[in-house]
Amino acid sequence: MTKFRKGLTFAAAATLAFSLTACSSDDGSEGTEGTDGGSGEAAAAGDNSLTVWAWDPAFNIFAMEEAEKVYQEEHPDFTLDIQEVTWEDLQPRLTTLAQSQEFGELPDIFLMQNNAFQKNALNYPDLFTPITDSGVAFDEFPAGVTAYSTIDGENYGVPFDAGTAISALRTDILEEAGLTVDDFTDITWDEYIALGEQVLEATGKPMLSGIAGEPDTILMMLQSAGQSLFDAEGNPTITDNEALASAIDLYSQMVEKGIYLEVNSWDEYIGSLVNGNVAGTINGIWISGSLQTAEDQAGNWGVTNLPIVDGVDGATHYSANGGSSWAVSSNANVELATDFLASTFAGSTELYDTILPSAGAVANWLPAGDSDVYSEPQEFYGGQPIYADVISFGAEVPANNTGAYYYEARDAVGVAITQIMGGTAPADALGEAQSTVEFAMN
Amino acid sequence: MKPSKAPTRTTARWREVPKYAFLSIVALLSIGPLYFMVVSATNTTQDVLGSSMLPGTNLIANWQSLTEFQDVGSAMYHSIINAVATTVLALVVCSIAGYGFEVYHSPNKDRLMWVLMLAMMIPFAATMIPLFQLFADAGLVNSTWAVVLPAIATPLLILLFRQSARSFPHEIIEAARIDGLKEVAIFWRMFVPTMKPTYAAAAVITFMTAWNNFLWPKVILVNPDYQTMPMLISNFTGGYVIDYGALMLAVLITSLPTIIIFFVLQRSFVAGFTGVVK
Amino acid sequence: MMTPVVRPDRATTTPAKRAKGTPRYSSPAARRRSLTGWAFLIPAAALIGIMMFWPMFQALILSFQTGRGSNLDWADPLTFNYDRMLDDDIFRLTLTTTLLYLVIQVPIMLVTALVLANILNNPRLKWKGFWRTAIFVPAAISLVSYSLVFRTIFATDGLVNDALIWVGFIDNPINWLGETNTARLVIILGLLWRWTGFNVIFYLAALQNIDPTTLEAAKMDGAGPIRTFFSVTIPQMKPMILLTVIMSTNGTIQMFDESYNLTRGGPANTTMTMSHYLFDVSFQNNPNFGYGAALSYVILIIVAVLAAIQMKVGDKRD
Repeated sequence: MTKFRKGLTFAAAATLAFSLTACSSDDGSEGTEGTDGGSGEAAAAGDNSLTVWAWDPAFNIFAMEEAEKVYQEEHPDFTLDIQEVTWEDLQPRLTTLAQSQEFGELPDIFLMQNNAFQKNALNYPDLFTPITDSGVAFDEFPAGVTAYSTIDGENYGVPFDAGTAISALRTDILEEAGLTVDDFTDITWDEYIALGEQVLEATGKPMLSGIAGEPDTILMMLQSAGQSLFDAEGNPTITDNEALASAIDLYSQMVEKGIYLEVNSWDEYIGSLVNGNVAGTINGIWISGSLQTAEDQAGNWGVTNLPIVDGVDGATHYSANGGSSWAVSSNANVELATDFLASTFAGSTELYDTILPSAGAVANWLPAGDSDVYSEPQEFYGGQPIYADVISFGAEVPANNTGAYYYEARDAVGVAITQIMGGTAPADALGEAQSTVEFAMN
Repeated sequence: MKPSKAPTRTTARWREVPKYAFLSIVALLSIGPLYFMVVSATNTTQDVLGSSMLPGTNLIANWQSLTEFQDVGSAMYHSIINAVATTVLALVVCSIAGYGFEVYHSPNKDRLMWVLMLAMMIPFAATMIPLFQLFADAGLVNSTWAVVLPAIATPLLILLFRQSARSFPHEIIEAARIDGLKEVAIFWRMFVPTMKPTYAAAAVITFMTAWNNFLWPKVILVNPDYQTMPMLISNFTGGYVIDYGALMLAVLITSLPTIIIFFVLQRSFVAGFTGVVK
Repeated sequence: MMTPVVRPDRATTTPAKRAKGTPRYSSPAARRRSLTGWAFLIPAAALIGIMMFWPMFQALILSFQTGRGSNLDWADPLTFNYDRMLDDDIFRLTLTTTLLYLVIQVPIMLVTALVLANILNNPRLKWKGFWRTAIFVPAAISLVSYSLVFRTIFATDGLVNDALIWVGFIDNPINWLGETNTARLVIILGLLWRWTGFNVIFYLAALQNIDPTTLEAAKMDGAGPIRTFFSVTIPQMKPMILLTVIMSTNGTIQMFDESYNLTRGGPANTTMTMSHYLFDVSFQNNPNFGYGAALSYVILIIVAVLAAIQMKVGDKRD
């Protein structure tokens, strides 16, 4: 024991010694790279160049590249340096940069998941530049979408892809059960479950699939009813939340009746869709990109609105899942960055006309929906002009109060659902989830 | 003699059946997942998710979709530079230290060794932020140094060299000293050449660790131009649509260098640990 | 600064004994040599100090602070984060899970590795190169890669279920990653797959170092192969076994990649390890670095205590 203690003393002394060396070297010649130097790599890249972080080469990076071309028509010298950073890497990286006050390493523009926007902007306001009065017409986006990136009335993000929820259905499978997409339009969840049982009986296929322990479906139901996991003051409302209780009840019913196939991972979920194991799915419109990889299913899909959660005030057929927005960093060439965003993602039908057919990126920017491209029939969806439908859905989506602790609450509800499926009484599981979130906030 | 031994040999052979059966099962379990990885690299997303165990014809298409969005060459280059630089520097620094601990043995050095061992027990996630700050202050974000420096000195490697220095005959050192050789020269000319197997073993461990290093590079290499192979793999899982065939191909390509290094140095590798036991 | 102190008790009695008994600074040359020794250590010690101990020291300070994101402040009371841990159900769950991995996986892995090393060490073994290759190769695969592969083959409609159904062991696919027990089993199987061969390498090395005459002697005394293994081979491998036990314990307690990539900690956080939780607390959720730092100190203490116990037990008979 004495040996150990001696060792510790020595460790402390050694640490101190090293810390001194480290400190003295800090104050040396390398001080130029400092926090407020402002001469970080992004801003230094030139007056006509912007650096961007985004994560999907086939989707948002592609959209950025197209936006670059659009902007270049008016500004021939303009260039973008788009760097690929996955969301899972981007979040820790932002945290690291903010925590170590190294804002100089930030790009001019970065993409942010809508659900994470509040958390980042509240914890690290220094990462962002407010762009309320920058010339971006925020009123041309649905209020429910700009709400994600708005804090205390100040706008921090330009919405990019819509997470507008769709109910996608395999028309060929429905046909075997004697049903059509119309039978699934403007219905309630109870009706959906009844139809699902019919489909299961006729074809042996469940209606939906989803990742066990991921509450996406339940949260979409919740949002469609205009509710969330937090109240206006930001306190968690996982217990005593009628809409959540109904959503969980509907979910359990579906799993028990075999019309909702629980899988374990994203891979399996996509697998259940492209391998034709289910009769449909309910998710953000971006799921269309994955559906279309199953070329053998072309013409066999249809899209409609979501079932309604019965018995809850303010319930609608519209919801959202996912989606993202462009944020202007605190290290940005703000004037150029906002002008670029205002003339492209918040001002160019041409841009949206290009990225819709090639990347399936559905606009949040309302004027884009008037374009002819949106009303074109889609072959994969049996000639249905689904994008025009999705735009009209998007305008109806109730706002989602995410708050800073959205991910904690979401994880806690996920755990609760797993427990409920395992036999725990819903009230107990939700009570535990509530206290988990309260603990995280404490 | 011979005839009398024959029956025992047959029984001995029968006795060996369980041994070979056990080895076969272990080998099958070992290679199975790897086979799946190789086969999947030639299959489409649909086949990978459908667990096809037969080679497909999609290899070239997978390669095309892999290279369409990802700069495999650059990632490979950075991975190699990082791993090689780490390995070379780690071998030099740790072998000198291990040699120093053993040959110039003293109670205080022993105590220092214990303190250094403590460093092995520090969870990385905890030191990430302060370490990032350190490199940011030194202006070394987005540099090979930032990836290499924290990986050079590891307690395990120092221990390995210390133990193998223990098996190095002390008489040789004494004799060299009498011949008037400088201490550093003794190390370079006497110790290093005889300890080749230990160096091979250390090289394999360090190279593999450096090659597979993921969390730290992904934080410190802010500019994706410096991206490494494991980071490239993780890029694949970030989009709305995942191409599993191309992903498996990337996984396979990433595994190749470590497998090659491993087998090139395998023989020496095993011999390299012999010193540790003594 | 330092005056060469000659300690009579050591300096004179055993001059012939090598390094261990070397007198301290018995001559200027000896002193110079000792300084050379320190010079040899300095690069490594300085690097470890700056790259590991210095950040850890900062983490210690951080563990006495609270607040989310950059709004950090001194905790009141200072031990707030440590007290908080007592009420943290998720931390308790991850601690239990991690210890479970430790007590199940490490013994199975090391015993299997010992057996395999012993078989591979037999000079009369046929196709030695093949067996070795097969057993070693998983150790060369990156953690991210093998986690992805394991996730795919243990999917509900994955390879493992297909194979088990084909053989007839089960009728319906098992939801491996969806149930707590099977998901933990998959993690343990993954660890066994990736790390057993790695340990075999260490044991093979140890085996090759065993004095063959001791084995002959045991044979002469009429000991069977199993007795010989336990009473002659094992004792001589003890230092190596101790090393691998400490390494594996350390690795398992700090395990991150498998939990993060293979199961994402699910279902319901029941496969999550402590390091994964630490990462979530610091980076994935609302960044709570004070609490994360406190968690890391608890992990550090657990590893250090276990290593100390193992060394005490392992060194007993020496």
